Amino acid sequence: MAAANKLLGISRCLLGSSRLGVPAVRTVMCPRSSRLGPGHIRAFSSEDKVTVKFINRDGETLVAQGKVGESLLDVVVEKNLDIDGFGACEGTLACSTCHLIFEDHIFQQLDPITDEEMDMLDLAYGLTDTSRLGCQICLKKSMNGMTVKVPESVADVRQAVDMGKSS
Amino acid sequence: MAQTLKLGSSRSSQLFRGLQELWAETVLKNSEKVIKGHKSLADMPGPSTVSFISDLFCRRGLARLHELQLEGKAKFGPVWKASFGPILTVHVAEPSLIEQVLRQEGKHPIRSDLSSWKDYRQCRGHSYGLLTAEGEEWQQFRSILGKHMLKPKEVEAYSDVLNDVVGDLIKKINYQRSQNQNNVVKDIAKEFYMFGLEGISSVLFESRIGCLEPTVPKETEKFIQSINTMFVMTLLTMAMPKFLHKIFRKPWQKFCESWDYMFAFAKGHIDKRMKDVAQKLAQGEKVEGKYLTYYLAQEKIPMKSIYGNVTELLLAGVDTISSTLSWSLYELAQHPDIQSAVYSEVEEILQGKQIPSPSDVARMPLLKAVVKEVLRLYPVIPGNARVVADRDIQVGDYIIPKKTLITLCHYATSRDENVFSNPNEFQPDRWLKKEDTHHPYASLPFGFGKRSCIGRRIAELEVYLALARILSHFEVKPEQPGSLVMPMTRTLLVPEKEINLQFLER
Repeated sequence: MAAANKLLGISRCLLGSSRLGVPAVRTVMCPRSSRLGPGHIRAFSSEDKVTVKFINRDGETLVAQGKVGESLLDVVVEKNLDIDGFGACEGTLACSTCHLIFEDHIFQQLDPITDEEMDMLDLAYGLTDTSRLGCQICLKKSMNGMTVKVPESVADVRQAVDMGKSS
Repeated sequence: MAQTLKLGSSRSSQLFRGLQELWAETVLKNSEKVIKGHKSLADMPGPSTVSFISDLFCRRGLARLHELQLEGKAKFGPVWKASFGPILTVHVAEPSLIEQVLRQEGKHPIRSDLSSWKDYRQCRGHSYGLLTAEGEEWQQFRSILGKHMLKPKEVEAYSDVLNDVVGDLIKKINYQRSQNQNNVVKDIAKEFYMFGLEGISSVLFESRIGCLEPTVPKETEKFIQSINTMFVMTLLTMAMPKFLHKIFRKPWQKFCESWDYMFAFAKGHIDKRMKDVAQKLAQGEKVEGKYLTYYLAQEKIPMKSIYGNVTELLLAGVDTISSTLSWSLYELAQHPDIQSAVYSEVEEILQGKQIPSPSDVARMPLLKAVVKEVLRLYPVIPGNARVVADRDIQVGDYIIPKKTLITLCHYATSRDENVFSNPNEFQPDRWLKKEDTHHPYASLPFGFGKRSCIGRRIAELEVYLALARILSHFEVKPEQPGSLVMPMTRTLLVPEKEINLQFLER
């Protein structure tokens, strides 16, 4: 059983690297949330929307839009992006599973990090110089089109979080 | 950064091991002989059952459990097994291995599936609370409470009510020191128990229960006594095999009586609060609340679950706050130079202001480093636990079978000289020096991940607000220079004897 899991892990790795050259782009449809009435939808023009590209662990690019002011975790949850184990603590700054790696020029513009976020980030796997927690980064107009990378995961068997729970 | 590198290499070794297994299974079709890298429980070192039981019961082992972690690691290495009474548990005492366990804890992490706390609730028909519930039920409580207890912005909303409680604490310290010679307050942990209970009550009920009045209400005193007895009996009842409970009935009986009192105490306060709300509603008044019991009630979870949760939250806010504050003042009294540096920091930020705000304390790095260092030396939870119920996991060289109780030896890692230089010294500045790095999983006083301490942010704020105010009012000195106090385990890590301190007005 353990060997079978390992095998799966390896094949996923190989698949991931073979895709690096030509990343598969899957545009995630943004289903309009049934919770919002029609008036609500009209209230947000395209100008309030920010497009973000997430490069998933397997190299796949997920594109999603979020509203200005929403956190990157909100975007992942609302658009139901398939990122394994992302945001396990539901944005309460108790884990580091929403760790994301930013482009340099975007990273420079981010709001300063708090001590609380720093302490959690220290515990993240695969920390880089441009790492932050997705639950603490809120979308700004200037971030439109940015790419964030989901760090490779440790051999982690954490199951996907039931995203429906956190709303 | 060092962590990244370390994990990077462990990752490649995992890949290597994976390939090795693959090769073994497909080519040799005989995996068992080839997987030498993986050891089983049978290969794990550990004390014999007889010697561990004699350590526990004859050599004050229950009160020295934290020291047994250090002894175990010195004797057997970073992973060993021992039978805690009827329960076999694997001890893990290396930061990178603790990290490995926590990263595999799964969607609904389990602290321990065998516990006298759960037995009691089943026996009495009480509901579980956040500390004892598992699975979906636990997730529901965690999601509701986490929203209001962990998000820093939400937590700031409790600062006014907590500052009121701190104000009463300062008055109480003033009163107590006036009762003794040389401005001494005896047994400060006791004062901080009252402060802890008043603080968590104010957060839970948004009303005050009088713990910091000159005369402490009888029921409060009994509640705190019940928590103490319950914690002492927790370890004893778990270490005793079931058949012994029939011969020595006292521990289980006392354990249940303590819980009965705590449940009754919480229920009394909840019912009173609910009655007030119902009356207001009946009179057509608008009811707004910024307290946890109200939030729980809003979510329409059963009343029984509210009782279960509030009881557990109440008790969780007492020893934790008390021990942390007691050790902080104890260490600052022993280190006047550090105390005066913290005092300067507080004065500089407050600029004559009497009452600090959350954003003020956020700008006090040394004060925060003091608390981190105190929790490294005296982690309130000296050993935590995890059970992975649905699959075997790999920890270091070992495969740990599913459902095994894994003890995370936080006390051992936070006092490990290979991780922290001068590990037994109080040196808060180690947390401020960039070059002074250590493995991030070496000191985890609040745990990590979705089952970590839910009260963490409230507790941190409460401790910072209290310490900043105490230090700006008083210079704290030991009653007798050179008198040392050691920690002891009572499920939690607490001071072994009274801490008596002199409070001199600034």
